Amino acid sequence: MDKLYSLTLKIHRYDPEQKKSWVQEYNIEVGGMLRFTDVLRKINQEQDPGLAWTSSCEHAQCGSCGIIVNGRPLLLCELLVQNAITQFETTTLTLKPLSIAPVLRDLIVDLQQAYKRVHKAKPYIIKPADPPIEGDEHRISPHTMESYVEATRCINCFCCAEACISSHRHFLGPNAMMANIVRLFDPRETSKKGRFDILYADDGIARCHTSEACSFVCPKEIDVAHFIALGKEARFR
Amino acid sequence: MARKLHLHSVLRCDALVIGAGGAGLRTAVEIIARKPDAKIIAVTKVSSPQKSHTTTAQGGFAAVNPEDPIDKPIYHMFDTWKGSDCSSDQNVTKKIIESAWEQTLWLDNHGLHFTRNEEGRFSKRTFGGHTLEFGEGPSAFRAVFEADRTGKGIMDTVWGESLKGNVSFVNQSIVTELIFKDERCRGAIIFEESRGEFTAVLAKATVISTGGLGQVYKITTNCRQNTGDGLAVVLREGLPVMDLEAVQFHPTGIVGPGILASEALRGEGGFLLNKDMERFMERYAPKMKDLAPRDMVSRSIETEIREGRGVINPNFNLPHIWLDIRHLSDYVHDVKLPEITGFFKKFAGIDPKKDLCPVRPTVHYQMGGIPTNEFGEVQKSADNIVLGLYAVGESASASFQGFNRLGTNSLVELFTMGKFVGERIAEYLQDTDDLGDIPKNAGEKSFALFSKYFEAKGSENLWKIRETMRELMTEKVGVFRNEKLLNEAINQLVDFKEMAIHIKLSRSSLIMNQELVDRWELDNLLDVAMVIAHGAKNRKESRGAHTREDYPERKTEFNYHTLAYMQEYGKVTLGKRPIDMSIFEEKSNNYKRFDFFARKY
Repeated sequence: MDKLYSLTLKIHRYDPEQKKSWVQEYNIEVGGMLRFTDVLRKINQEQDPGLAWTSSCEHAQCGSCGIIVNGRPLLLCELLVQNAITQFETTTLTLKPLSIAPVLRDLIVDLQQAYKRVHKAKPYIIKPADPPIEGDEHRISPHTMESYVEATRCINCFCCAEACISSHRHFLGPNAMMANIVRLFDPRETSKKGRFDILYADDGIARCHTSEACSFVCPKEIDVAHFIALGKEARFR
Repeated sequence: MARKLHLHSVLRCDALVIGAGGAGLRTAVEIIARKPDAKIIAVTKVSSPQKSHTTTAQGGFAAVNPEDPIDKPIYHMFDTWKGSDCSSDQNVTKKIIESAWEQTLWLDNHGLHFTRNEEGRFSKRTFGGHTLEFGEGPSAFRAVFEADRTGKGIMDTVWGESLKGNVSFVNQSIVTELIFKDERCRGAIIFEESRGEFTAVLAKATVISTGGLGQVYKITTNCRQNTGDGLAVVLREGLPVMDLEAVQFHPTGIVGPGILASEALRGEGGFLLNKDMERFMERYAPKMKDLAPRDMVSRSIETEIREGRGVINPNFNLPHIWLDIRHLSDYVHDVKLPEITGFFKKFAGIDPKKDLCPVRPTVHYQMGGIPTNEFGEVQKSADNIVLGLYAVGESASASFQGFNRLGTNSLVELFTMGKFVGERIAEYLQDTDDLGDIPKNAGEKSFALFSKYFEAKGSENLWKIRETMRELMTEKVGVFRNEKLLNEAINQLVDFKEMAIHIKLSRSSLIMNQELVDRWELDNLLDVAMVIAHGAKNRKESRGAHTREDYPERKTEFNYHTLAYMQEYGKVTLGKRPIDMSIFEEKSNNYKRFDFFARKY
C-alpha cells in the first residue's frame, strides 16, 4: 500500500433538532490516493456513523458533494488526500458546508433551494426551432458548437456560486447564468427574447462584478467568466 | 427507545415516478406530452434529479437511421440477440431498436448537444459487439454521442423538459412500501429524509425506476445510491425479480475506485495489454478482439490476472491490466473524450496521452430487474401483471439485455422504454377510477421496519457488515462462480442478515439521519445479494455474464428467464419466464439468425 498520512479534520456540524452548531475534530490515518468521500466514509465506518455528508457519483460528474475546504469551494470526491496536503500545505483541514443554501445537517445543504435559481434560468429550450427536414437531425456546425459546448459541461455543483463575490442573494449565480447563455448560442432556441429577459433581469448579468472567481474554482475547469463576459457583451455568434 | 411512527401527510397524483433518472423522467415527459394536465410526482433519492446516475453514462446511444444505406435496424437486433447470449426477448428488442432513431431526434429537438461531424450531422462511433451484416461485416459505427458525457446530455434534457412540464419533485427521499387496493397498485409510502417524515402518495399509476444494484459489490462504477432499493421493495411486497444473476462487469474500471472508463476508448482505437505488453484479446476473440462484448472481455482480463499476466497497482494493491490510448490523436483525447482523460488524471494521477492506463473489471450494470412486459407493466408471474404498477430503466427487465448488455444499449433501453411506458400510462389514466381513501394499513410495513431499526440493541457495526458483504459478493458471486462458493455466500449472507438485527443506531432522530438510511440500504443490499446468489446457484450453466466454472457451457434446458420471489430471508422460490422468440417465429427474412447459436467473436 502507499504511504499513510495522518490528517486532522475540523468538521463544521449542525444538529437541526437542537439547532446547535459546533466544530468537531477527527484524527485519521489514510492513504494518499483516497478521495475525501472515502475519508469521510472511513470516519462513518470507524469513528462516527452519525456524521452526515452527501455525495453520489463520486467522480466529479454529478456535482452533489460541493463543500468548502480551508476556505476553498470544491468537490469532496475530487480532492485526493495527497493533493489536499500539497495544495493546502497542511494536514489540518477545515470542512464547512457551502453557504449557498440552508444547512440540513452537518455538511449537507438543501440543494433544492439552490436549484431554484437554476430553474429560473430555464435549463431547456424555451421554444425549439423545427428541424430542417422532418425525420432528420438539426444541422449544427462543429465550429458553431465549439463556441458554447464547454459551458454545457456544467454539473451545477454551485462551487462558482459559492465563490462569486456578487452574493447569491441578488444574483442568480454564474452557473444559472451560464445555463441561460448556452441557449443564446444554441441555434435551436428561437425564444431569444425569453433568454434576454433572464440575462438582463434584476438578478441577471448586471450583478456580476467580473472577479472571475467562478472560473478560478470551477471543478470542471470551465472558464465560466468567459461565458459571463460574452453575455455582458451580447456576443452570441 | 420506543417511538410511534406515523404518516404526516397524504399526496394525490395521476402518476408517481419513483427514481427521477433518465428512465423515470422520460416516462414522466411522455405522460405530460399526451396528457398535459396530468399531475406527476417524481421522487428521487439524490439531492436533485440532475444528480442521478444516468448522468455518469459516457459513450453513446446506438440508433440506426432507417434510411441508412449501410447499417440496418435488423443488424442491431441481431447484435443485441447475439450479445445477450440468445437471452433477450425478441419482441422487446425489435420494438426498442425500431424506435431508437426517432428518440435520438427527440433528444436533438429538445436540446441535447450531440457531437457533430463537419457536415453538421451526428458523429457516430462504434462499440463492442456492434457489427454490420450479422457479424460477418466490419464494426458498425452506429452510436451517436455527446463527447464522453452522453448520459449527462440525456439527463439534462429530460430533467429540463420535466421542469418545463411542471413535474413536482420530491428530492432526497426514499420509497419504503407500495400501496395496494383492490388488486391494484395505488401509490407508495415515501420517507422524506430532510423532514424525517413519512408521506403516503396515492397515485393512479406508479412507476419504479430506481436504477441499479452496483453497491452490492466492492468495486463498482455505480453511484452511492445504487443499492437495489426498488428491487428490495418489490421483493418485500411478494413480487418477483428476474435474472438478477446476470450482473455485468465492465472490463475497464479505473483501478482503485472503479470509475468507468468508457468502451468508447476502445471504440476510438484503444486496446488492452497484459504485463508482457501482449494484446491478449486477440487470443480470446480473434475477430472482434478488444471490441468483443463486455462479458467476454471481463472474463479474459480476469483469466489473464489469474494466470499471472496481470500487473499489481502499488497504490491500491490491486491486480489489473493496461488500456493503451496513447496513440489516439489529441483531438480524440481533448474533444471526444475529455471527461475520461480528466478522470485518469484526477483519480489515478496518470496522463493517458503519455502513460498506460491501469484498468480492471468493475461491476457496472444489472441485466435483470423487475420483470415487465413490452409496455413496462410489472409482472407478478410470467403471465400476469399488477395493475397500476410499472417499471423502467435499469431497475426493470423487459428483457432487452438478456444475459449480457452491449455498450450503449442501456441508454437506448431506458429512453425508448421510458417513452413506451409513458404512452401506456397515459392510456391507463383515461379509464382509471378515482383513488378513493387511503387503505387503513398503508405505512404499517414501513413503520414496523423503521421501528425495528430504532429499537435494535447490540454491538454489530453497520459498515463492517456492509463492507464484508461487498467483499463476499465480489469473491464468491463475481465474474467466475461455482457451487461451493455460491453455497458459502448464501450461508454467510444469512449470518449477515442475523448480525444486522444487532446494529444499534447512534441517534434516534428521523431528520436527515444518514445512518438510518444506511441501515435501510443494508437490508436492501442483503436481500438483493441473496437473490443474486440463489439465481446463480440454480442456473447450472454459463450464459452471458453468468459464468459457472463447474458448468462452462450454455444449456438448452436453461433457455428461460429466472423469476425469483423471497418471502422470508434466504428462502428464495424460483420460477421461469420463457424467452420471447417472435422474430424467429415470424419466419420473415433472416429469421434463422435469431435462433439459438453459440457466440463467437
